[in-house]
Amino acid sequence: MKRVIVCYKWVPDGADIRIDERTRTLAMDGVSWTLNDFDRNAIEAGVQIKAATGCDLIGVTAGVDTEASGKDALSRGLDSLYYLSDQAMADADSRTTSEVLAGMIGRLGGADLVICSEASDDEYAQQTGPRLAALLGYSSVTCVSALSPSGESLSASRKLEEGVEDVEIAGPAVVSVVPDINQPPFPSVKQILGAKKKPSQAVALAEVVGDMDRIRPQLRTDSLLAPEVSRKRVSLSAGGVGAADAVAGLLKALAAEGVL
Amino acid sequence: MSTQWVIAETAALAAELIGGLRDLEDGVLTAFVGVDATEAKTLIALGADRVVALAPGNSTPWEDYVFPLVDRARTEAPDLVLVGATRRGRGLAAFLAASLDAPLVSDAKALSRREGRIQADRMVLGGLAVKTVSTDAATVIATVAAGVYAARAADLRRSGPIETLEPVAGRVRVTGRRLKDGGDVNLAGAKRVVGVGRGFADKADLALAEALATALGAELACSRPIAEFFKWMPEERYIGISGQAIKPDLYIAVGISGQAQHVYGIRDAKVIVSINKDETAPIGQKADYSIVGDLKEVLPVLTGAL
Repeated sequence: MKRVIVCYKWVPDGADIRIDERTRTLAMDGVSWTLNDFDRNAIEAGVQIKAATGCDLIGVTAGVDTEASGKDALSRGLDSLYYLSDQAMADADSRTTSEVLAGMIGRLGGADLVICSEASDDEYAQQTGPRLAALLGYSSVTCVSALSPSGESLSASRKLEEGVEDVEIAGPAVVSVVPDINQPPFPSVKQILGAKKKPSQAVALAEVVGDMDRIRPQLRTDSLLAPEVSRKRVSLSAGGVGAADAVAGLLKALAAEGVL
Repeated sequence: MSTQWVIAETAALAAELIGGLRDLEDGVLTAFVGVDATEAKTLIALGADRVVALAPGNSTPWEDYVFPLVDRARTEAPDLVLVGATRRGRGLAAFLAASLDAPLVSDAKALSRREGRIQADRMVLGGLAVKTVSTDAATVIATVAAGVYAARAADLRRSGPIETLEPVAGRVRVTGRRLKDGGDVNLAGAKRVVGVGRGFADKADLALAEALATALGAELACSRPIAEFFKWMPEERYIGISGQAIKPDLYIAVGISGQAQHVYGIRDAKVIVSINKDETAPIGQKADYSIVGDLKEVLPVLTGAL
């Protein structure tokens, strides 16, 4: 393994999003942005491969205002960062994202291994890894819960519904790792300070995408609304009722619902 | 005549997707499924026009079927492809989508066709919002989870061809498969479920929830931290956006705060009950009935009263 690339996503922090209960719309203003939670596992998987093989470990990201992500991502053990920040990515669907990332990876000269995480916290589409593999002509291996390089090939374990599947991968691959693969440590103060000194390079959309038609989103967003809450919201403890009375009230209600 | 495809690992999931597609539109429906000859005939009775049986060998990843499927899709040009949203299915669908340069709606619900566009709902932002997306692409792919659609009644007069398809080997080789002995966790089919969360400060207190579940004839489930961080319960029992989605008649959330990621998995429960000591926890807004109190006090009273 000479070069390993970790793709990560810079996402809005769901905890900051406010919902207007009346209109069910989402207020995104003032929302802070953060490293996608699952991508901490992807970066740590790369760090462990680097420790075993001495490979170059490059972080690649594409999105809006991604330069702000560098400090956090680099403090987790990446050697360098290659990022694209463009307002055009605001409407990205999985096609857009994977086409742009594939263009970036192509411009870097490819990789022996590309590591993605299972999904992003915001879209949770679970498409980027396999789509990237198809576009790059690499193998795709998803649901990876263990990964170890052995010479030119790579062994992986996949966590599937019915159990674990062990595979051998020859040649370049894109793997999507699940959170079980590792427990990412918190970056040390030294790592956080060291992140600033690591190389970080921006690239423009026009440099990585030849045909802008290829990055047009194919899925149009028609609406984005909080789900309708049709629950009764009855408190059985209202008015300081004790446990026994609250339970009696609950059993009566559940019997009336016909679910007991 | 339009053409539709169903791709699924199992006959049960394929039957649901066939039912969903048949309600959505007419056309020639081919199902690519891991089935034997008897199951293949059943799928034709359930609405498929043609069944292509998939039987990968021991060293072949199921996803290697994507290579012949890409070739076939270029010839047949299906307008809609539903892929069973299993772990392998999701990966295959995304690889297929990129190979065909087609849009893919992940975990689609409420699929419909209107004015030449395919529209679907999907949950985003960890369950905080529903995104409605649409596309007019010539080929549209969607992954659909078990339980979204129901199988149709079998029509035994129907007949159709049954074929096989050979996977094309890629560069990934399966060296072993280890089946897990997860016991008989059947949350998907459970009528009643008791879910536990971080309100349980001590693992020993889980006995209170177990007693309630036994008294109710309910399955025991949990929120993500209980399975993933504390490892107090196996992962098959955790409910949420990256875990199980359930639809019981009754769900009792005990010591669960009601994060959107968890609520995603219980949205289709008929009745939701919350037992939580924090009156302001979000679960209060997501439940039909709430009891505010210490679970150590409330659970024995409830169990005793059943």
